[in-house]
Amino acid sequence: MTESRGAQDTYLLIPILLLAVLVSIAVIRGPNLVSLPGFGSAIIVAAPLILATYALMSVALAGRGTVDLAVGPLLAFINVSIVSLNGLGLVTSPLGVFVVAIGIGVIYQILFALVIIVVRVQPIIVALSGFLALSGINRVILPRPGGVAPDWMVSWGLGNTIFSPVLLILVLATGGWLLFTLSPFFKHLRMMGYDERAAFTAGVRSDIVRIGAHVIAGIFVGLGAICYTALIASGDPTQGTTMSLTAVTAVVLGGVSLAGGRGTITGALLGATNLFLIGYVLATFQFGSVQGFVTQLLYGLTLIISLLLAMLVPVVGRYISFISPFAAFMVLGIVVAGIVLEVSTAQTYVATGPIPVGSGDNIERYLIFPPTGDAQPFGIWLSPLQRLLFIATAGILALVVMMRVVVVEAAARRFGAFGHAVVACFILLCLAIIAIYSHPARGGLMP
Amino acid sequence: MTLMPLPRSTLLTVLNLAFAMIVGAIGFGVGFAQGQLAQTVVLFTVITVAALFWFANYVAVAFENRLAADAESGEADADRRLVGARSVWAANRVLIVAMALLLLAYLIITATVPPFRTLSNLIAFLVLEAILVFAFKVSGVFVHGRSAFIGLIVLIALVVISAFTIEGFLSATNIKAVLLFASFLGIACAGQTLVALMGGLDLSIPFVIGAANIGLLYLIGLGVPPWFAFALVIIIGGLIGFLNGVMSYKLQGQALIMTLGMGFAVAGLVQIITSIGSQFSGNVFGTVPPWLSNLAAMNGVTFGLSVPPTILLWIILSVLVVVALRYSAYGRYIYALGGNRRSAMLIGISEFKYWVLAYVISGAFAALTGALLLGWSGGGFIGVGDPYLFTTLAAVVIGGTSLAGGYGGYGFTVIGVLVLQVLSSFLIGIGLKYEWQQFIFGLLILPMVALYSRSPHIRAQV
Repeated sequence: MTESRGAQDTYLLIPILLLAVLVSIAVIRGPNLVSLPGFGSAIIVAAPLILATYALMSVALAGRGTVDLAVGPLLAFINVSIVSLNGLGLVTSPLGVFVVAIGIGVIYQILFALVIIVVRVQPIIVALSGFLALSGINRVILPRPGGVAPDWMVSWGLGNTIFSPVLLILVLATGGWLLFTLSPFFKHLRMMGYDERAAFTAGVRSDIVRIGAHVIAGIFVGLGAICYTALIASGDPTQGTTMSLTAVTAVVLGGVSLAGGRGTITGALLGATNLFLIGYVLATFQFGSVQGFVTQLLYGLTLIISLLLAMLVPVVGRYISFISPFAAFMVLGIVVAGIVLEVSTAQTYVATGPIPVGSGDNIERYLIFPPTGDAQPFGIWLSPLQRLLFIATAGILALVVMMRVVVVEAAARRFGAFGHAVVACFILLCLAIIAIYSHPARGGLMP
Repeated sequence: MTLMPLPRSTLLTVLNLAFAMIVGAIGFGVGFAQGQLAQTVVLFTVITVAALFWFANYVAVAFENRLAADAESGEADADRRLVGARSVWAANRVLIVAMALLLLAYLIITATVPPFRTLSNLIAFLVLEAILVFAFKVSGVFVHGRSAFIGLIVLIALVVISAFTIEGFLSATNIKAVLLFASFLGIACAGQTLVALMGGLDLSIPFVIGAANIGLLYLIGLGVPPWFAFALVIIIGGLIGFLNGVMSYKLQGQALIMTLGMGFAVAGLVQIITSIGSQFSGNVFGTVPPWLSNLAAMNGVTFGLSVPPTILLWIILSVLVVVALRYSAYGRYIYALGGNRRSAMLIGISEFKYWVLAYVISGAFAALTGALLLGWSGGGFIGVGDPYLFTTLAAVVIGGTSLAGGYGGYGFTVIGVLVLQVLSSFLIGIGLKYEWQQFIFGLLILPMVALYSRSPHIRAQV
């Protein structure tokens, strides 16, 4: 590879930038997002798309232009299967549903891989074939949206808390993939996707690697279908095409190369989140009857623009290689976190009129505004000055750590484990702050 | 291969002519026995004889060429051939397995479903087995056009099976309907074929069809003269194609996604425009001018014949595209570029120009299809293009045009389109719903493609 270092990650710049813009707009337009129920339901709504995007990424990595257009109909197929089996009373237990969902996904994907390997037709034709067949059979199993999801699943889709089982599935799926990337198998997969002939010559057993990539995709689709069933609490055979097209858009937006060999789970996650946020932001504007059309138009434009921008990335990367995606994430993250905090706490503080000169000392005058409630966030009573000092110290410490990480990471070849840890802490911190401030006792925004 | 192939041996020519005449005579007799109009019977007899004669000659020439080629290279292979039952198995195992599976399926269905036990089903089964033998044993003789040959056999077999199983399948109305729908699909596929020949794909076609459909009615509703609106829609379609081509040129591997995004954007934009100031979101109502209805409706009239002009339009267009691809510089350059970009560019063919042109043609034809569909349905509806998302691709693929580029042609696609439409008509005829049709189409594409469009093993590519 002649590209500069960090070429895998450079493609993340676009989705990160877009994410920052979209989160800001989304929070300003719809402050409900920044609350426990708001965030919880956002996760539940976005989860099927995110998992479908993971599945697409996994097979796209395998190369040969594998775009599994059938991912949406497959998801819908598993969805209607779960609902139908539940309706018949055959499979109702959690274990059974998971086995069925993941089983169908894996079996389909293994068949897909075997056809590519043995029959050796272009993957796009196999995907097309699967798309038509699955879309058809979905309508046969369940002619129109309906049916009921298993009882235990109903509570999953309520979304009144962040820590729902759906989040657990997402975290496990993401974590599982990250663990997988450490294995040599993943390196083989990437190598095969990048140049199958070279990989074959180097002794990679490409058939097994390809099947492996598809099995992982099948697991992701199965999990996605479970999340989707929990979300709509019924069966819907009609949404397959939309899901496919949205997931393809998300994959492309996330910087995954459909030609194979390049793609990260962070990118897929960012891409899917962005697409969810586009839908969310658009929903806050009242377009009336043309709502759906505007969404369609914007999806299309996003797809085109992200493709064109991805083409520019190597060119731009040559000149501004000093900006790493991590640094961009940090800087933009701080800005966005500021906006989020501002929005979510806007009504927490009473409006204080100008304090007359001479009343109280300077510190009291300029730095400390009395909070509305008496309750302290952590149950420890601190004077306003003490709290300010603590926060400032923590802030300076965090800044130092972060600067250090930025400097180290800029010279590193790939995004290290420490960097991941810092990002994770950062996200958790943001969530904690949002959770604390949107708590009803603190005058949170949600009623 | 020339347009009118004639075998070298006169005996074969005479035999072919006799064969065609005999079949024609049978048709002639049957036609009069059924009490058809004399003009109709004569017309169909002439067409049958001519087509059969051409086809038989084509096969004969292919065999002659093959024999000549075998005679040259035969000595080298001779010692490698095995003898005995083993070799029969080794050479035909796929065929034997496929035939056995079909037999098994037939027996199982016959044993379990009593209404299935009819004579027509038995005939259909035998025809299917015969197709398999034909497809495997005879198609190998054709080095080029193998897919077209298989497609033709499948087409003929489908017609035979349908004629036996479905009442009124060969009636004039049904044939007209099949041809009309084939025309819509065929026109939409023309651009897809050109694009596929260059190794690209155009997924914006269904969206452009839908957008042209509602856009045309909207323009007519605004008071634009219908003929001008018609032309305008086609030009805008071409412009969309132009954008597709220009933007996907540097991203040829991802042309699929690029055109998909373009299609989304176009469909969204047109719907927004047509919805402004209208309380029917997305749907457009208006009056379709009579000439447009006549152009595409089932009861359309061409020069006094009760055939929709769209069918004639498709026939003319097919001939034009096939001839242009075969004989014009533009057509040859498309093949050159699709076959090997680098060589083509070294002899001075501008890749950009032909790539963009292929997409422009694709966009314009998609818009034309959308406009014609408006005449057929009489009302604007964005979803009218939806079935074309994959059927255009399926028709191209079933016809045998390689999606990797450089091999195939519009003639193949015409066969693919006819196969799809006849199959669809057959499935409707035996009472299957749209969902089942979709399912069967999906399952059918794979084996069809697997018969002739397999890529070499990675071992062979190193």
